[in-house]
Amino acid sequence: MMDESSTKDTSPKGLSTKLLAGSVLGLGGGLVGLFQGLQSGDKAPFLGWLWGCSFWLSIAIGMLMLIMIFRIFNSKWSPVVRRQQEHALSAFPWLGLCLLPLLLVAWFGKDQAGILWSWINPASPTIEVSSIISVEEDVLHQKKAGYLNLNFFTLRLIAYFGIFCGISYWLRKASFSQDKDGDPKWTHLGTKVSAIGIPAAALALTFGAFDMFMSLEYQWFSTMYGVWFFASGMRAALAITILICVYLVANGKLKGLFKQAHQYDLACLSLTFTIFWAYVSFSQYFLIYSANIPEETFWFTIREIDPNTGLRSGWFWVSMGLIFGHFFFPFLYLLFYRTKVDVPKLVFIVCWILAFHLLDLYWNIIPGREIVPGAFVGYEARPVIGSHLLWGVFSLVGVGCLCAWAVIRSFQSGIAEIIPIRDPRIRESINHHE
Amino acid sequence: MSEVKEVEEHEILKKVDPAPWKDVPLVLNNRDYKWVTDKVCGIVESKTPTWWWWCFITALCIASFTGMGLVYLVSTGVGVWGNNNPVNWGWAIVNFVFWIGIGHAGTLISAVLCLLKQKWRTSINRASEAMTVFAVLCAGIFPLFHVGRVWFAWWLFPIPNANAIWPQFRSPLEWDVFAVSTYATVSILFWYMGMIPDMAVLRDRATETWRKYFYGFFAMGWRNANNHWRNFEMAYLLLAGLSTPLVLSVHTIVSFDFAVANLPGWHTTIFPPYFVAGAIFSGFGMVLTLLLPVRAVFGLRDLITQKHIDNMCMITLATGSIVGYAYAMEFFIAWYGANSYEGFAFINRAFGNYWWSYWIMVSCNVICPQLFWFKKIRQNTPLVWIISIFVNVGMWFERFVIANTTLSRDFLPSSWGYYSPTVVDIFTFFGTFGFFSVLFLLFLRFLPLMPMCEVKSVMPQADPHADH
Repeated sequence: MMDESSTKDTSPKGLSTKLLAGSVLGLGGGLVGLFQGLQSGDKAPFLGWLWGCSFWLSIAIGMLMLIMIFRIFNSKWSPVVRRQQEHALSAFPWLGLCLLPLLLVAWFGKDQAGILWSWINPASPTIEVSSIISVEEDVLHQKKAGYLNLNFFTLRLIAYFGIFCGISYWLRKASFSQDKDGDPKWTHLGTKVSAIGIPAAALALTFGAFDMFMSLEYQWFSTMYGVWFFASGMRAALAITILICVYLVANGKLKGLFKQAHQYDLACLSLTFTIFWAYVSFSQYFLIYSANIPEETFWFTIREIDPNTGLRSGWFWVSMGLIFGHFFFPFLYLLFYRTKVDVPKLVFIVCWILAFHLLDLYWNIIPGREIVPGAFVGYEARPVIGSHLLWGVFSLVGVGCLCAWAVIRSFQSGIAEIIPIRDPRIRESINHHE
Repeated sequence: MSEVKEVEEHEILKKVDPAPWKDVPLVLNNRDYKWVTDKVCGIVESKTPTWWWWCFITALCIASFTGMGLVYLVSTGVGVWGNNNPVNWGWAIVNFVFWIGIGHAGTLISAVLCLLKQKWRTSINRASEAMTVFAVLCAGIFPLFHVGRVWFAWWLFPIPNANAIWPQFRSPLEWDVFAVSTYATVSILFWYMGMIPDMAVLRDRATETWRKYFYGFFAMGWRNANNHWRNFEMAYLLLAGLSTPLVLSVHTIVSFDFAVANLPGWHTTIFPPYFVAGAIFSGFGMVLTLLLPVRAVFGLRDLITQKHIDNMCMITLATGSIVGYAYAMEFFIAWYGANSYEGFAFINRAFGNYWWSYWIMVSCNVICPQLFWFKKIRQNTPLVWIISIFVNVGMWFERFVIANTTLSRDFLPSSWGYYSPTVVDIFTFFGTFGFFSVLFLLFLRFLPLMPMCEVKSVMPQADPHADH
C-alpha cells in the first residue's frame, strides 16, 4: 500500500487548477489564431503554434531518451532523478493532442495559400531558382511527393506519437509496478524496453524533425537534422530535470535524497550536450557553407541576410545570439565546478539554456521564404518579430500549462512514490556522492 | 553531516527496500591484490613462451610485406599503386581511415569511460591504448607515402622553406596532419603516463639488472608517495579531459576529408558524428579481436570477465546501430534531396560496379552486430571473436565504399573508371597487420598489460563499504 502522505504532492493548493486555466487561456488564444489563419491565409498563427508545441515536445523526447539511456547503462546514481522524469512522460498524450489542430488545419485548410507546410497544397507558390512556380510544378516536390503527402504524413505523425506514448507507458509501468512488489523482473523489463525503445524513438524523433520542421522548407535537406533535434531535446530535458529536482528539494519532497552529487552529474551531462549541440550545429553549418551549393545554402542565407538587399537582417543577430548565448556562454559557465554545485548558479544557467533553446527552435521554425511577386528575388524572408511571435507565446503558455498540469497530476495521483523505493539501485542512488 | 541527518530523517527512507540484484564483481573468484600483481607482472617476468616467438616471427614476416611494398614504391614511384584517374585516392585513404578508426577505441576506453566513471574499463584500457598508438602508426604510413616523394613529407608542416611553399591550409588533408599528430602525441603521453606506477612495480620486482634499469628509467623515480599519486591522478584526469575532444576531432576531420569535397556521396552533413561512431565501432571490434585471444592465452578470465565482454559487445551493437542509422539517413536524404547525382551515387553504391563491397559493408557493420542482442551469443567467446573479425572487415569496406564508389563514378560518364589494387597495394596493406602485431606482441612481452593499481581500485577489497 502506498503511503498517502508521501505520495501526495505538496505543491501550492490550486496549482493544478491554475495550470489548467492557463492552458485553456493559452490554447484558446492559439486556436483563435488558427481560425483566423484558416480564414485569412496567414501562416503566422500556424508557425507560432508549431513553435510552442515543439518546445515542450523536444523536452518530453529528451526526457524519454534520458530515461532509456539511464536504464541501458544500468546507471547506479540515477534512480532518484529518473523517477521525476518518468512523471514527466505523462505529457506525451497531451502533446499529441496539442499537435492535432495543426493536422486538422492541414486536412481542412489544405487549399489555403498560407498552409503551414506548403507542400500540402499543390497550388502554393514556391521558388525555383528565381522564378515563382506552384508546388505541383516544382520538380523537387514531384520527386519527393511519395513521402511528402498528407495521407502518409498523417500516418507518420500517428506512428511517432504511438512510439513515444507506447515506450513511455511501458517505462512507467516497469518503474511504478516495482514500487509495489519489488520484483526485479521490472528492472529487466525496463532495460529491455529501453534497448528496443532507443532505436525506435531515435527514428521517430528523426523523421518527426524532418516532417515537422525540415519540411517547412521542403526543398531543403540535411542528414544531420535529426541529430540536431536530439541534441537540442537532451539539453532542454536536462535543464527541466534539474529545475524539477531543485523544486522538489525546496518543497521538501526530495530533501536529502537529491544530493549535490546528482546535481553535479546532471550539470556535467548538460555541459556534454552543450558541446554536442555545438558540434552538430557547427558541422551542419560548416559543411553547407563550405560546399556553397545554392539548393542548401538558401536555408542559412535567409537566417543571415535580407535576400533582396543583401544586408544583414534581424536573423543575423539571432544567429549570433545562438552561437554566443547557446554555446559559448553556457559552455564556459558550466566548465567550473562551483557553477555546477551551487543551486542558484545552476538554476540560472539551466533557465538560460531553456531560453536559448526556445530561440534555437524559433530560428529553425520561423524563418522562411514568403513569396512576393514584386520582390527582387521573388520572395521576402519572414522577419524576426511578427505576429507569429504573439501566436507562439499563446501556444507556448497553453501547451506548457497543459504539460505541467499532466505532470503534476501524475505526481499527485499516488501512482508511485517520490523515489523508486524498490529499485535495485536505489540505495546507491540515495547514497550517491562525488 | 547535516545532509546525513536529513537522509536519516526522511520518511521515505523507511520504505526503501531494494529489489534483490546481484552485481557481478569486476575481478572474479575473490582474488586478492597479490594475485593481480603476480598475474600481470608474471606475463612480463616469465620466460618468453614458444608461441610468442612463433607469432613474433610470423608477424615480422608479414610486416616485411609492407617494408618491401614501400621500398618498391619509393624506388619506383606512386604509379606502382593502383590509383588512377578518377580514383586518385585508391587504397591509401581507405587504409589510413581504417587504421585511424581502430585507433579510437583506446582513447575512448581510457578517457571517455574514465570521465563517465565506468569502472569496468580498468582491465582493458591499457591494451586498448597500446592498440591505439600502434594503429595510429600504421595509419600514418599511407598518407606519408601517398605524397609520392616521401622525403618531402615534412612540407606538410608549415615550416618556412627556401621555395616559399606553404601547405594548403584550407584543405582538411592538412588539418589531418595537425589532428593526427596531436592525437598521436597525446595518446602516447596518456598511455605512457598510465604505465608509470606499473613500471615501478616491475622495477621493484626485477631480479635482472637490465630490467631494473629499463623499468627504472621509465618509472621516472616513482615511489608511490602521496604527492606522486595526487599529481598522477590530476594529470590523468586532465589528459582524459584533453583526449576526449581530441578523439572526436580526429575522426571529425577525417570525415571532412570527404565531406568538404563537393562530390555526391561525400558531401553530407551527418558525416562527422557518423565517422566518430564508426571509429568507436571499429575500435571495439579490434579490441575484442585482440583481447579475447590474450585472455585465453594468459589465463585472464578473472580479470577480463564475461561482464567486460558483454559490455564491449553491447557498445559494438550500439555503435554498429548508429552506423546503420547513418547509412539509412544518407540513403533517405539522397532520395529526399532529389538531386539526381546524389541519388545516383547511392543507387550505384548498392547496385553499381562495387555492389558487392556495399553489401559486405552492410552485412558486417549493421547485420552482424545485431547478433549481440542475444546473451547466448555474447557468452560464446569464439563466436564473439568471429563477429569482431567481421566488424573489422566491414569497417574496412565502409571506407572502400565511400572512397571508391564515388570517385569511380563521378559526374561525367566519359571519365568513369574502375579501381583495382595492384599487388603492391595488397602487400603494403597486408603487411601493416604484421607491423601492428609485432608492436602488440612486444607490448605484451615487455610492458604491463593492465593497470594494476586501477584494477585493484575496483576490487571489493578497495571499497571500505563493500560489505555494508
